[in-house]
Amino acid sequence: MTSASPPPPAYDPARGREPAAGTGAAPRPVLTLRGVGKTYPNGKVALRDIELSLAEGEFVFLVGPSGAGKSTLLRLLIRDELPTSGEVIVDGADLARVPRRRVPELRRRIGIVFQDFKLLPARTVRDNVAFALEVTGTPRGRIRPAVDRALAVVGLAAAADQLPTTLSGGEQQRTAIARALVHEPRLIIADEPTGNLDPLISWEIIQLLLRINELGVTVLMATHNAEVVTSLRRRVVALEEGRIVRDEVGGYHRED
Amino acid sequence: MSVAAVATMVLMLLLLAGFWLLQAGLTAGVAYVEGKVEIVADLRDVPGAEAALVVEARALAVDVAALPEVRTVHFVSKDEALARFRERLRERGQVDLTGYLDRNPLPASLEVGLVDPREFQPVVDLLSSRSEVVDDVVEVQQLIERLTSVTNVLRTGGLVVLVLVAFVVLFIIVNTIRLAVVARREEIEIMRLVGASDAFIRWPFIFEGAFVGLLGAGAALLVLALLAGPVGDLMYGFFRVLPLELGTLARDVVLLVVGTGLGVGVLGSWLSVRSYLGR
Repeated sequence: MTSASPPPPAYDPARGREPAAGTGAAPRPVLTLRGVGKTYPNGKVALRDIELSLAEGEFVFLVGPSGAGKSTLLRLLIRDELPTSGEVIVDGADLARVPRRRVPELRRRIGIVFQDFKLLPARTVRDNVAFALEVTGTPRGRIRPAVDRALAVVGLAAAADQLPTTLSGGEQQRTAIARALVHEPRLIIADEPTGNLDPLISWEIIQLLLRINELGVTVLMATHNAEVVTSLRRRVVALEEGRIVRDEVGGYHRED
Repeated sequence: MSVAAVATMVLMLLLLAGFWLLQAGLTAGVAYVEGKVEIVADLRDVPGAEAALVVEARALAVDVAALPEVRTVHFVSKDEALARFRERLRERGQVDLTGYLDRNPLPASLEVGLVDPREFQPVVDLLSSRSEVVDDVVEVQQLIERLTSVTNVLRTGGLVVLVLVAFVVLFIIVNTIRLAVVARREEIEIMRLVGASDAFIRWPFIFEGAFVGLLGAGAALLVLALLAGPVGDLMYGFFRVLPLELGTLARDVVLLVVGTGLGVGVLGSWLSVRSYLGR
């Protein structure tokens, strides 16, 4: 288990993270990007020569101004887009080599959380979470306990039978996190999960993601929330104009 | 999907079926008119030799009937010709003076119906070559050419309009279904993101498309069935003379409406969902 303290040593992308204290062997990377570039068909260059590796159990912030390429990078990880150069390896699979029909299996190993929650308004909290299992053909008997477990982790067991529209923004985002968790993924990708929430609720969501990280799930979170990033002293990957300009433990802004 | 999708489906299928029926009626009407085209050969009329000429005329009729271009051959005897003439006079209310004639002046004739009115030349040639029997072949060439140019335009025009209507119908139905799918694109996106397979996402939409198609087809057929009685009574005189096989026509319309509804419903859903399934 990793925790907030003591801070891990400075990160060297070429070698991967130093092994966590007391665990011995280096954890294998959950995701690796090598020389990744992405140019859209309209000629816009979104990413250039990205080298990035996340070890199992890390909690990493992805920061940068709008249009720096954060969303494109996250879309590459769930194979919503394919890179124009380089390779993207998630959980041991080179995404360019994963045939289309295997992509759903890949996505089940990744939990995704969005700024706008993306919940189905006509379904209850429980059904929204169960939806992620239903669409993958999970037997009914296994759905109920898995959903209850996920709702318990995010603290929404009491609101299970409410509709998303009756919930606060924070509760809606926790529902979305429960849905991302219900497959028991090794990696959670969060795209501005606190972008629509007020500061207090944002902290609750961050605390929840940290707790999930402590359960062993790797978390990659794109955010503009400077206060959160700076105070947590985690690994920060900064993008500017499609390049990684900083990759170190620290705050939202460069500190030297 | 919505009531609007089903309503659009019904209206479009009715439009398609209506134009299909119009086209069938038009084609049958054209065929009917073309079937009326006959080559008439007046036969020689030698007083005293009538019996011998009848034998020769019957022999000629057998030869003509053997031509592949010929559909029917009818021998009109002198008596029959006179009877027709009298009938015509009576219809017009004119005084019948034929009783005062000492001899029937009308020639016997052969009426030759053609398989295709454009293929008249071999028949005319054969009839003209037997001048010992045939007195005169009534000139039909110009009439036939004018008629076939008109019927060709009608046939082609009817077909073009039907194809255009079919395209419009397909386009509108596919677009209606697309709208219904667009309304649920968020649901599709969520399904993709949580790892649903393409097939899993697609089948409810395909099923709905098929359902809308069958429902629309059923409603359209019901409307057509309700209309068939009154319209049929109204146009009985018209339809009766046309070489239409009503049983076959009804079967074709049912197949057309159900096939189009089901096919376009499924195709429209498949195409619409495909654009949201990504790369």
